[in-house]
Amino acid sequence: MAIVALAGNPNCGKTSLFNALTGARHHVGNWPGVTVEKRSGTFEQAGLNLEVVDLPGTYSLSARSEDERIASSFLAEPAVDVILNVLDASNLERNLYLTTQLLELKKPMVFALNMMDDLERQGTRVDLEALAALLGGPVIATVGNRGEGIAELKAALHRVATGADPSLDPGLWPPRVTYGEDLEFEVRRLAEEVSRDEKLTEHLPARWLALRLLEGATDALEQAEASHARQAIQQQLEAGTRFLEAHLGADCATLIAERRFGFARGLMAEVMVRKDRQGRTPTDRIDAVLTHRFLGIPIFLGLMVAMYALTFVVGKIPQDWIADGFAWLHDAAAARLPAGELTSLLVDGVIPGVGSVVVFLPVIMILMGCVSFLEDTGYMARAAFVMDRLMHLMGLHGKSFIPLIMGMGCNAPAIQATRTIEARSDRFITILVSPLISCSARLPVYILLAGAFFSPLGGAVAVVAMHLLGFALAILAGKALRLSLFRNENTPFVMELPPYRLPVLRTTLLHMWEKGSVFLRKAGTVIFAGATLVWFLSNYPGITNRAWAAELRAQEEAVLAQGLPEAEAKEKLEDLAFAHKGRIMNSSLAARFGHALRPVFRPILDPDRTRPEAWKDGVALTAGFVAKEIVVGTMAVVHQARAEAPDGQEGSPLQQTLRERSGLTPLTALAFMIFTLIYTPCLGTVGMILKETRSWRWTGFSVGYGLVLAWLLSWGTVTVGRALGFA
Amino acid sequence: MESLSGYDVGRSGRVARVEGDEAVQRRLLEMGFVRGEEVRVHKRAPLGDPLELVIKGYHLSLRRDECACILMEKE
Repeated sequence: MAIVALAGNPNCGKTSLFNALTGARHHVGNWPGVTVEKRSGTFEQAGLNLEVVDLPGTYSLSARSEDERIASSFLAEPAVDVILNVLDASNLERNLYLTTQLLELKKPMVFALNMMDDLERQGTRVDLEALAALLGGPVIATVGNRGEGIAELKAALHRVATGADPSLDPGLWPPRVTYGEDLEFEVRRLAEEVSRDEKLTEHLPARWLALRLLEGATDALEQAEASHARQAIQQQLEAGTRFLEAHLGADCATLIAERRFGFARGLMAEVMVRKDRQGRTPTDRIDAVLTHRFLGIPIFLGLMVAMYALTFVVGKIPQDWIADGFAWLHDAAAARLPAGELTSLLVDGVIPGVGSVVVFLPVIMILMGCVSFLEDTGYMARAAFVMDRLMHLMGLHGKSFIPLIMGMGCNAPAIQATRTIEARSDRFITILVSPLISCSARLPVYILLAGAFFSPLGGAVAVVAMHLLGFALAILAGKALRLSLFRNENTPFVMELPPYRLPVLRTTLLHMWEKGSVFLRKAGTVIFAGATLVWFLSNYPGITNRAWAAELRAQEEAVLAQGLPEAEAKEKLEDLAFAHKGRIMNSSLAARFGHALRPVFRPILDPDRTRPEAWKDGVALTAGFVAKEIVVGTMAVVHQARAEAPDGQEGSPLQQTLRERSGLTPLTALAFMIFTLIYTPCLGTVGMILKETRSWRWTGFSVGYGLVLAWLLSWGTVTVGRALGFA
Repeated sequence: MESLSGYDVGRSGRVARVEGDEAVQRRLLEMGFVRGEEVRVHKRAPLGDPLELVIKGYHLSLRRDECACILMEKE
């Protein structure tokens, strides 16, 4: 077994090359302790198993971002046998910067000159043999997404991994990049000091560490800090830095970068015969429209509408199938199994619980397919380019726009879509504000309450206002988080606009499948556990009450004995079951919890302390933790009034009950709506936040600040409303 | 010295120096903003910011704040 580390810039086609190398034999996980995805896979070549680990795409190994830290620390591991450096042939000069750093690790290397087709189309020729001689490792021309050059690449990796070619022994190489007399002198002196600590140089060349120290790479500085030769190293580093800066008139990082790009430029001149580009490239012509001054934004918004429709309108069709399937399963199981607690657990707890997880799959897969498509074509960067100004005002990144808009459909996949945002702070802020966007599951709650307490016009205004309030809060929360918890994490906005490319269907499908299965594994368990817990809370201890169950059966038999017409009998039976459910719910642990919550909700939902039924709000809102649309169903059960309007009538019995008996007023109903908008995102979203942040702390924070903000804003609304004379 | 943020669309020039806090300066260096490198302002986003630049034959987008860190040679 040999380990191959796959390193390269973002947008160099690394992932498609990885897929071509490993086929379906790969695994998606996470790097230890961080949210960055780790892909690894294997292939066999001439009897040797090679494991390929796909590193995050980085422009350098400076270890400033999470991605760079992962890449540089993995590359430095002794277990890595070969580094496969993927280079975008059409953007070779910039890609070679990373190569200069990789070369200093002095590990056996293979180079894949990827997307050669782009270059050949431009009429540019590359002397691969000369390039291989200058870089000190085999150079293979590849087109990853078409599988070209993969066989040669596998053979070269095998050759290098087994040491079959002695000329490739990196220990014998002279340094490829030289930094000029003064800099080299200081690098040598610092390397000597570093060599004093054997632990530092056990697996890594002293020269690599010395250069990283001069560059100011944080991981190298930390390693030096922990060394027993700390003092000598630091003295030498300070003296060297002072000397170089005084003599060469620039700081060390600049000097080193200049030399590296000098090497890259020299290499280009030796191996490339470039034909002067004539006229505009296809990318220029596409961008002339897509990022046009006046057309850019309308086109982007049009694409968003299309994506939204595809995800939530088209995606609703398979969602309905899944819901129907689980409903059928529920009915079938209920009809066949003997009545009892265990059956209820299975039928009302487990089956709907699994259903509540699986039902997310279609929208997640479609949305992630769209996002993957936008990224692979190169449009994602343009979307961010077009929207960045607006999003920057909110303390967010241009790429945050898509998750926020998709959040209007469903927050859970929207949070998964934040994966496209590179910088950790931008991504986390977007994840934390996303649940404030009013999703489609909250709409039934608004409609119920607005319909019960407001005029048709007032109700419409209130529903629209809830959506606007969600956006406004997301903006304010984003700004506040940027200025507080993420104050020190300011990542510069530096975004490549890669050439447009046709995505490969296989890659997109693979991506959709991966996202779907990871969701089931990681978020599914949390959602399922939560749903089962809420089932338990809302059914115990009433469900074990044999006397009630017997009463229900007796009543059912009585109805059947009357010999009524079928439709009438069915209706009566449903009423009985509904009443039985209400009895269980109203004596359940959830109901007790609702009673216990009364003091908490009193200031916002019962400011006059005159509502005997106020505890029912707590029950409904607790059940809504599973999914917000459940609030309506739970209210129907606790108030024993149906949420569906009878034929030919406006307004449902539940709305009438709420208006006449619940004690809610238009003002407290509004507070209820505001609370529903803001409080704790549903379990699906919580599961997704946990999966995407990989942190219980951030997940807890998200739940906690939602609750606090919801309470404060509802309370503010009621207090101000009452002061203004509303009720 | 004039910075890149003052450049109009279509204008090009050579980099003299990159300033700004460490994270910004290092990132820009790695992306190719080294002394003597030619940069052209290719486009401005519809809302006026960020800018699209061409450097070393590839396209890159920077906000005006970052462009202000890139000092250009006198023509």
